[in-house]
Amino acid sequence: MLLLALVPALAFCDDGTSALFKKGNEYYAKAQYEEAIASYQKLVDGGYQSVPVYFNLGNAYYKNGDIAPALLYYEKAHKLSPGDDDIKLNLQLANLKTADKLDEAPEFFISKWWHSFILTFSLGTLAVLSVLSILAGSGVLILYRFTQSVTVKKASFYTAISLVFLGLVFIFIAGRQADYFESHQQAIIFSTSVTIKSAPVHTSKDLFILHDGTKVEVLEHNNDWIKIRLVNGNEGWIAANDVRDI
Amino acid sequence: MKRVYSIVLLLLLQSSLLFAADIRFTASVSKTEVSTTEQFEVTFAINGNGDRFTPPSFTGFLVVAGPNVSTSMSVINGNASSSMEYSYVLIAVKPGTYSIGPASIVVNGKQLSTKPINIKVVKGQAVPQNNNAAAPQRQNGPDSRVTMHKPGTDISKSLFIRADVDKKSVYLGEQITLTYKLYTRVAIVGSEPEKLPDLNGFYSQDIKNPDQNVHWRTEVYNGSKFNVANIKQTILFPERGGDITLDPISFFFVVREANAASDDDMFGQFFGSYNDVKYRIKSTPVVIHVKPLPLAGKPDGFGGAVGRFSISTGIDKTELKANEPLNYKIKISGTGNLKLIKPLNTAFPPDFEKYDPKTIDTIVENVNGQSGSRTYTYLLIPRHQGNFTIDPVKFSYFNPGTGKYVSLPTKPFQIKVNKGLAENNVTAYSSTDKQDVKLLNKDIRYIKPDDGNIIKRGEGFYDSGLYYGLLAFGPLLFLGALAYGSWYERANSDIVKVKSRKASKIAAKHLASAQTQLSAKNSTAFYENVFKGLYGYLSDKLNIAAADLNREKIATELKTRQLDEPLINELLDTLDLCDMARYAPVSGISEQQIFDKAKNMINEIEDKI
Repeated sequence: MLLLALVPALAFCDDGTSALFKKGNEYYAKAQYEEAIASYQKLVDGGYQSVPVYFNLGNAYYKNGDIAPALLYYEKAHKLSPGDDDIKLNLQLANLKTADKLDEAPEFFISKWWHSFILTFSLGTLAVLSVLSILAGSGVLILYRFTQSVTVKKASFYTAISLVFLGLVFIFIAGRQADYFESHQQAIIFSTSVTIKSAPVHTSKDLFILHDGTKVEVLEHNNDWIKIRLVNGNEGWIAANDVRDI
Repeated sequence: MKRVYSIVLLLLLQSSLLFAADIRFTASVSKTEVSTTEQFEVTFAINGNGDRFTPPSFTGFLVVAGPNVSTSMSVINGNASSSMEYSYVLIAVKPGTYSIGPASIVVNGKQLSTKPINIKVVKGQAVPQNNNAAAPQRQNGPDSRVTMHKPGTDISKSLFIRADVDKKSVYLGEQITLTYKLYTRVAIVGSEPEKLPDLNGFYSQDIKNPDQNVHWRTEVYNGSKFNVANIKQTILFPERGGDITLDPISFFFVVREANAASDDDMFGQFFGSYNDVKYRIKSTPVVIHVKPLPLAGKPDGFGGAVGRFSISTGIDKTELKANEPLNYKIKISGTGNLKLIKPLNTAFPPDFEKYDPKTIDTIVENVNGQSGSRTYTYLLIPRHQGNFTIDPVKFSYFNPGTGKYVSLPTKPFQIKVNKGLAENNVTAYSSTDKQDVKLLNKDIRYIKPDDGNIIKRGEGFYDSGLYYGLLAFGPLLFLGALAYGSWYERANSDIVKVKSRKASKIAAKHLASAQTQLSAKNSTAFYENVFKGLYGYLSDKLNIAAADLNREKIATELKTRQLDEPLINELLDTLDLCDMARYAPVSGISEQQIFDKAKNMINEIEDKI
């Protein structure tokens, strides 16, 4: 009973947002990419998000030739749904169009496996799964408590324990994923050509030049400067308004 | 080389009285057309013996040498025969037509004369020196005596190369035969090519002369007589329009020159000293005007063929199994730029695997140009079964003679392909398909059509209050269940007590139905229900089985339970009343009162027990 009461609260789907999204899709289908961008962007600027919104916005930017925003939104979509292959492929293709060729520093294989493990499902999915598991586990425990037959009691006991354990695992993974995104703050460079400095001042030494569309990891903030790290391990300082956070 | 004369002369009388042998007296010349200062020979021959030979006057000529007499005698099978020859070497002095008058000889008393010979003399200067004037073995040599070149005179007047073309105005791609001819009046003792022409702007094919020797002939050019030989023959096909100049060919020639001292003396030229001088001779340039092919009427798929052609197509089988090979032949024959024809665009059915065609040329180059045939053989392999048509090939060419395009039709072929062997089919298919799939993957994936639960940022399910609430809900539910369970079990451990507690509920239920019957004024049903209610209540409360339930038992049981006597009696009375009332109407007490009484009974017992 209680659950049923809660469900309506979950259904946030504002009719206005749905309509905007559909409008964007129509524009995209007609290859009117600028209008599609405007529609999707309205949603995003209004504070709304969902995997398809980000993904479609990324597509619209890509088709319109703006690679840096396309990458930004693809990354945002990826953050929400890390296991989605469409997003991963489009990210790959869009990255081919960026100016900077960076070789990824090799990642320790265990951490690579671990990351791909915790990033298989989106947080939303994990949350739902964990709730369902716990509820199911509790239900089976209740069955265990009230059943008379010994076999049912045994079966239900073990099932209940596994379900509860599974639920805990999901909670744990979700926690790890959230933590991962929290600690690995990333950004996309938006300025067409920007020099990375060795210290957060204009007069410091130039280290290297990057171009728009390149993904960087954000390490620190210092006034208007951000310390970034590239995928190949190089670090440097960049002005905060040259990048946009994912 | 010197000619050796060994002829036996017999003089015979001209009259027929004489012996069987036919005596003839003839005059002959080595050339009937000479140029001034050119030597030639006149010979008077008689096939017998004669004497008192009288030469003619030779007016207009100078006698260089003569008379050269030679006699010969031979005996064959006992027959003796002899002959005599008188020869003179003459030189003409002035141009004109002269006659060498008759010579006479007396044979056996008879006088014989030769017929006069006319000699035409043309203007000429020095003449090439070559001693093999009349030798039958060396036909390729120039056949008149030559003179050495006079130093100081312009060599280009006596020795030059002409580039001769059969046509000067052609269409693009039309064939031209080019011959480089050497014209000479001086003695050449050696030659070597210096530069062969590039022939830019043309596609050229040399005509190969199987005969290695050079053939000389005489030609009159600009009023002078020359010895002419073909140095090189080529077939040309112009590759672009406009006026194209043929590159010159150049040769080095070693020319025999007279020494300066013996300038005027003709005899000195023969017998005096000489030098061999090397000259470089270049051919005269020739301009070819190339007309571009007309655009009007140019058919689609015109492949640049210019000339006259015919086409034939053939196929080696019309029915075959899939994955078996099929050979399709296209043969183009004719004259023209066969080697330059662009490959034909063939339209094969898409399910046929096609390979680049094999081209076999049977082409001959000669003075008439390039002719022969070119055969394209296409290898086709059908990959599927079905009925297919090989569309006819479109071939067109431009005929420079008529100045028009000609399109030649070919016929289509129907091919029936039967099912092929299974294994082949699979392997072929997968390899071609695999490549196609890869190519398609280059564009980004399409947009997602459904909006996927648009929510406000920060209001996601995870980490929300709802999430935690739901998470906690399960365990709480379980704990609640635990609590409920233990309570339930405790309450339900005593069955008797359970039944007892249930009893009043049941009675209330029955009385409730009685109440309904009362309101509905169903007396019979009312009494029945009251009766049942009470009995049922008592059965459960006192734990008496329904079968054993009767007044006595009830009374006994109630007494055991220490119920008051009056209460027991009242109960029994009520019971009796209800029982009776079921069958007969009762008076003195209303149904409502009975109902209330029953209810009170139950309540009282409940209180007491």
